[in-house]
Amino acid sequence: MTTRAFVGRPTAGPREAADWSRGQVLSNDLRSVVGRAFPRVRGMAREPSWLLFEILLPFLTTSSFVFVYQALHAPPEYIGFVVLGGAMTAFWLNVVWMMAAQLYWEKDQGNLELYFAAPMDVMSVLFGMAIGGLIMSATRAAVVLVVASVVYRVQFSVEQWGLLLLVFFLTLAALYGLGMVLASLFLMWGREAWHLTQLLAEPVYFVSGLNFPVAALGRIGALALATIPLATGLDAMRQLAFSGSVGPVFLSPEVEALILIAMTVLFVLLARFMLRTLEERARREGRLTVRWR
Amino acid sequence: MTAPTTALEPGARPLFDPGRTRGRGSVDLVRSFRTAAALGWKMEANWTDPLLFFIYSVAKPISAALILVAMLEVITGASGREFRGFVVVGSALWSFVISGIAGLAWSVLDDRERYRMLKYVYVSPSDFVVVLLGRGTARIAVGAMGAAITLAVGVLLLGVAFDPLAVDWRLLVVTMALGLHAIVVIGLLLAAVCLQTRQESWSYPEAVAGALFLVSGAVFPLAVLPAPIQVIGLLNPLSWWLEGCRRALFPDGASSVGGTGSVYAELSGRLAPDAPTIVLALLVTGALVTLGGAVVFRWSERRAKDRGLIDQTTGS
Repeated sequence: MTTRAFVGRPTAGPREAADWSRGQVLSNDLRSVVGRAFPRVRGMAREPSWLLFEILLPFLTTSSFVFVYQALHAPPEYIGFVVLGGAMTAFWLNVVWMMAAQLYWEKDQGNLELYFAAPMDVMSVLFGMAIGGLIMSATRAAVVLVVASVVYRVQFSVEQWGLLLLVFFLTLAALYGLGMVLASLFLMWGREAWHLTQLLAEPVYFVSGLNFPVAALGRIGALALATIPLATGLDAMRQLAFSGSVGPVFLSPEVEALILIAMTVLFVLLARFMLRTLEERARREGRLTVRWR
Repeated sequence: MTAPTTALEPGARPLFDPGRTRGRGSVDLVRSFRTAAALGWKMEANWTDPLLFFIYSVAKPISAALILVAMLEVITGASGREFRGFVVVGSALWSFVISGIAGLAWSVLDDRERYRMLKYVYVSPSDFVVVLLGRGTARIAVGAMGAAITLAVGVLLLGVAFDPLAVDWRLLVVTMALGLHAIVVIGLLLAAVCLQTRQESWSYPEAVAGALFLVSGAVFPLAVLPAPIQVIGLLNPLSWWLEGCRRALFPDGASSVGGTGSVYAELSGRLAPDAPTIVLALLVTGALVTLGGAVVFRWSERRAKDRGLIDQTTGS
């Protein structure tokens, strides 16, 4: 005898109901991605204050650094570096605030136990967060890039559009992969994670060479290129967007693209491993519902 | 068995003393402020060991200064060393702005979204603004630590020329007091905004501080900006605060408000403001911001009560 009591389709019992095909698992995870991305995208329309705080004001911050270079009578391409860096910070801040700290935040709100109890892969929740956040970040980055380029008359000199776009998407993939790793770590670190989000702004901007060629930092810059996707992606994009006028460089954009691919694979695998490990540990130690620590 | 004491018996302590609802005026305010400041400090500092807390407190302002020093070094090399003092002082003092603004705004978000205590704090007999100010004070203390260390790093490691005997302490104390007042009021304004918005507002203080960075002469003279934006800068109390602190710490340093071709020089006929002008301008612009901040905060408070925003938690 079959019944629909356990799931939407007729099954003989709970064991059969829980036995999902690969297609059902995939479809469920995709719906989880959409479900987690939805509130972020929908929230943008519900509260338009983000247009001021996430787009206009960061544009003014970027402008400050443009004026620093103007005060120093820097070559025009340096103003382009600031604009490019200002656009890319949108993604970095999104990764830190809306990916890395998010699981810790969800725990505080009481949603985390629901995520772990739901029949889905937690990676799909993180992926949904990434997609939802990407829309807001991409809008901010596009506005900063377009408006600042027009206002400050930035002259781009691109010879390899394909490679530039490839590096851009690889940078995003590596950044959000890193965000997933940090999300697991932050979940483990608890309240320290909240404070560490602060540490991941200016210090990372400095070692990543946000407004200047990272090679100017010597060994620190080289180390950043090997470990921080923002540094690697920015350096490659800077070389590709302002070809022939970048100053000292450590690596070619092609090599940096390969580093970004390696980072993406490493970060996603690491995030998957860490999420599984932390989930198991959190279940065993009963810390999924322990808040505010 | 003895009969229960009632309020009607002579000499018995009344069950309810209406006098207690009247409070004790300034004594209660001071106690609320002290309690909120102590709580804020514990929340800021007790999450880790002192060494990590110290690193966390100074890493941000030092990195911000190093970004500017690197930009300076890349463009000007050794010839731009004299400008280092300007950017190091500006970025060091800016940590007061970031922490001062964030402290008050994050108190609202922390208590509403994370700890869900805002409604209880709000209905308690303590004055809500005093509680917010107390909580914000702790973060300003963290900002002060970052500013002091950044200045020390600037002088000891980055070669910023500093003569302690040349410091105008009177001007420094007056401008710091007035400037901190202005920062706290801007923080209160942002707390008013955060009462209306949702969880994602965590990044708003940083965004506002970043925007003010442009019109404060923090790391470049206002004279670089287009004239209309310079006027906005002259109406901003933070510009005068930074100018006053610079003038007090480095009496011979460059002016961030004046300079050749600046709107200030055109209006006043002088290249740089003197100490009394700085203090007067800081007083006037600070008073304007205070007035605006008080009006906006009260409006926001009323709207939040009206729409039930004080105990609303959000998430996306």
